[in-house]
Amino acid sequence: MNRYGGRAGNFGNSGSNSGGSNSRSQIAELFVKKVLTHLDDTDPSKFHQFLGLFNPNGCKVIINATPFAQPTLFLEQWETGVTQTQHALTAVDYHVIPGSNSVVFNVNCKVRFDEGGRDRAGQDASIQQQPQHSQQPRNALNRTRPLWGSYFGVSLQMVVEERVLSNDTNGTILAFNYNMVYKPDDSLMKIH
Amino acid sequence: MNGAHNVNDINLLAQQQQQQNRVKIGIRNWQNATVQDVINFLSRNTRIAVMDAIVQGPLVMGYVQSRADADALLKWNGIRFAGNNLKFEILDDAAGGAGTNSTITLLKNFLYKRYNTQTKMLDLANLHADPDLVQKGLFSSISTQSKMFPALMKLASKEPQLVVESVNLSNNNLKDISGITTLAQTFPHLKNLCLANNQISRFRTIEVWKNKFKELRELLMTNNPITSDKLYRSEMMRLFPKLVILDNVVVRDEQKLMSIYSLPMKIQPYFFENNEIGSSSTDFVTNFLNFWDADRVQLLGLYTPQSQFSLSVDSSIPPSSVSESDQNPSFGYYLPHSRNISKVSSEKSIEQRLSMGAEAISNIFRALPKTKHHLQDMPNEYSVETITYPQVSGFIVTLHGFFEEVAKPDVDTNNKSSTGRSRRFNHSHNASNNRLSKKSFDRTWVIVPTGNGVVVASDLLTVRPFAANAWVNPAQQLQQQPPPAPHIDPMNPNINALPPTVGMGAIGMDMPPAAPQPAVSVPAISMPAVPSAPPTLQIPPEVQARLNPMQLQLLIKLHLETKLNAEYTYMLAEQSGWNYEVAVKGFQNSASNIPREAFIQ
Repeated sequence: MNRYGGRAGNFGNSGSNSGGSNSRSQIAELFVKKVLTHLDDTDPSKFHQFLGLFNPNGCKVIINATPFAQPTLFLEQWETGVTQTQHALTAVDYHVIPGSNSVVFNVNCKVRFDEGGRDRAGQDASIQQQPQHSQQPRNALNRTRPLWGSYFGVSLQMVVEERVLSNDTNGTILAFNYNMVYKPDDSLMKIH
Repeated sequence: MNGAHNVNDINLLAQQQQQQNRVKIGIRNWQNATVQDVINFLSRNTRIAVMDAIVQGPLVMGYVQSRADADALLKWNGIRFAGNNLKFEILDDAAGGAGTNSTITLLKNFLYKRYNTQTKMLDLANLHADPDLVQKGLFSSISTQSKMFPALMKLASKEPQLVVESVNLSNNNLKDISGITTLAQTFPHLKNLCLANNQISRFRTIEVWKNKFKELRELLMTNNPITSDKLYRSEMMRLFPKLVILDNVVVRDEQKLMSIYSLPMKIQPYFFENNEIGSSSTDFVTNFLNFWDADRVQLLGLYTPQSQFSLSVDSSIPPSSVSESDQNPSFGYYLPHSRNISKVSSEKSIEQRLSMGAEAISNIFRALPKTKHHLQDMPNEYSVETITYPQVSGFIVTLHGFFEEVAKPDVDTNNKSSTGRSRRFNHSHNASNNRLSKKSFDRTWVIVPTGNGVVVASDLLTVRPFAANAWVNPAQQLQQQPPPAPHIDPMNPNINALPPTVGMGAIGMDMPPAAPQPAVSVPAISMPAVPSAPPTLQIPPEVQARLNPMQLQLLIKLHLETKLNAEYTYMLAEQSGWNYEVAVKGFQNSASNIPREAFIQ
C-alpha cells in the first residue's frame, strides 16, 4: 500500500509518532507526498483540492521546461492530456530561506505511466466497429487495470510558503518546477 | 589471402548458405582406380564426402562441405589406396570466401533493387519469383530458403542508407512468421507492414512480435486464414499498441492515440523566465562549476553566515532500459552526508547534515569527491531552468546534468576512526563503495544579487546514478554528429580568461545586467554569456531584445548553415518553431524556391 516506501503516515494526521508531535522534516516529507498523490489522482472531483495548494496570487509552473501561466492551465492539461501516473518518491531535501517566509524543496522521484492505451478517464482510442457487441471477449483491451510502463526519472523543485511546515497547505505553492531527467527506451510514451 | 579474414567469411557463410560453404580440394596418386572408387573409399574411411569431383590432369578435384572437413582431410595424407599413398591439398582456399562475398554482394544488390528511397519502402514481396535469387539457387532447398531472410535482415541492418518505414512481405507462402521474426530486430521502428497473400493462420506465431514494433501504424494481412478469426482484430490491436489501420480499416482514432501516448508538455533543455536571468544564470552556473571542479575554496565567498548547503543521495537505480544507466552505482563518499529526509529517519542527523555558513559548507565541500563537469564541451548533456524568486529579490537556478568523479575527497569521512559513527560502518564497509565514477545530478541554487556580485542563499544538490538524459532527442543527437563546424557555446566560457586566484568579486555577475541588450555585433567581451554573431548576421536591436540566448544562438547556427540573411534566417527560425532540425530540413526542402536576395551577398 505504501508505495513510497519509508515511514507510513496519513496526510493531515496530527502528531501520533513516537517522537511526540510531527517534526518539521516529517511534515515537509508528507507535504511532498501529498503533492505527488494529487498528481496520480484520477478522480476529477479532487481537482479543486489540488488546485487549492497553489498560491492564488501568482504561481509559476514549469513542466519539462515548458512554462504555464496559471496552475489551472497546467492541472487541466495534466487531467486531460496525461494518462494515469504513478509517482514514487526517492529523495527529498528542503531549506527554509531566512527572512523570506518561504521554503525551497528539492525533490527526486520516479514516475511511470499507464501504457495500456487509455487516458485518465479510461477512454481508449479504438474505434468501435459495430455498435457494441454484447459479448466482447475479455482481453487486454477491455480491462481497466493500468498497464504500467517503465519508470522515468523526475527532478522537482518547489518554493512553498513557510506556513506549510505548520501543516497549513492552502495556497502555499509559489513555484513548481517539474522536469524529467531520464527516460526509458522501452516506453510507449513520447516526451519529445 | 589472410587466414583470419577467410575464417570470418566462412563463419558468416555458414549462417547464410551451406552450399556456398564448400572448399575445393585436390587428390593426387589416385590413378589406380576410378574417381568414384576414390570417393567411396574416402567416404568409408574418413567419413568426409567429396562432391562434384572431376578429373583435371593428375588431380581429382572436388569439394568438401566445409573448411573443417578440408582440414580433417589433410590429416589423412598418405593413406594407402590402391597401392599408392594418397595426397590431399586444399586448392583454392579463397573459393569459399569469394562465394560468400559474391552472395553478400548479390543480396545487397537485391536489397537496393527492392528499396524505394522516396517511399522508404523495402519491397520483399514474392521472393520466389525473383530471377536473381532463383538463379543463384537461393530457393534450391528449404534450408537455404530459411536462412536467406535472416541474412537479408542482417545485411539490411548494416546499411545505414536504408531508411525503412514500410516492408512488403506479401506473396511469400509464409505459414507462420518464424522465418521472418528478425524483422523486428532490424526495423524496430517500422510503421507499415504488409503480409497479405500468405498462409498465416495462428496468433501464436505472431505473439513473438508483442512489445516489438511499437511504432507500427498500419498492418495488412488480407488473404491470410487468420483474418477470419473472431479475435483477429482485438488480438492485432493488443499486439501492436499503436496500430491505426488494419487491413485498410481504421481501427484507432489516431489523434486520440497520439494524445494518449505523448505528454502535452514536450521536454525542452532550457527555460529562462526572462532574458536577463537567462544570460546571468548560464554565466553563474558556468563560473560556479569551473571553480567547483578546480578549487572549491574559491566559492566560499559566495556563502554568507546564513547560507545553507545540503546534499541528498537518490540511490534509486533507473530501469535498465534507460540508456547508459549505471546499474551498480557507488555512493560511499556521499551517504554519510545525505540529507534525503525520505531515507534518513533520525531528526538529529537531518539537523546535522544541513550546513550553514561558509565554514560548515567548506567542510562538506572538502568531503565530496573532486569532479569534472562538461558544461562547455558537452552542453547538450545539461538542462537548466531559471525563475525569479521575488521573496528574496533573487532567482532560482536549477541545473540537471552529470559530472565525472576525478579524485577522492580531500577529507575522507569514511576513513576517520569511527567516533560516534553508528555500528554499521564497522561492518562490511569496503572500498568498492568508494569507487569513482560518473554521476548524474540536480542542483538548485537560490541566488541573491548584491551590489557587485551575488550571494548563494541556498544550495541543494541531489546526486544520483548516472543515466542518459531525457531532454536530448536521440534522433537529433544523431544528426548533430559531427557537430556543425562553427559551434558557438551557449555557456560562454569567459571565465577561462580569469586567473584562478582572483577573488570572489570576479565570479559575481554584474547584476543587474546592462539594461537593454545591444546589437549582437558588439564584441562578446562586454556581454558575457551572449553568443557573438558573425558580422554577416545583422539583427535589428529591437528584434534582438526579444530573443533569449538560446534563440539567438539558434539564429547564428542557422545563419552559418544556410548563409541566409538576418531577415530570412529569422523567418525560417520562427516558421520552424525555433527548432534547428526542422529549420534545416525546411531550408533544404525549399532551397530552390528561395529568392537570391535572401542570401548574404
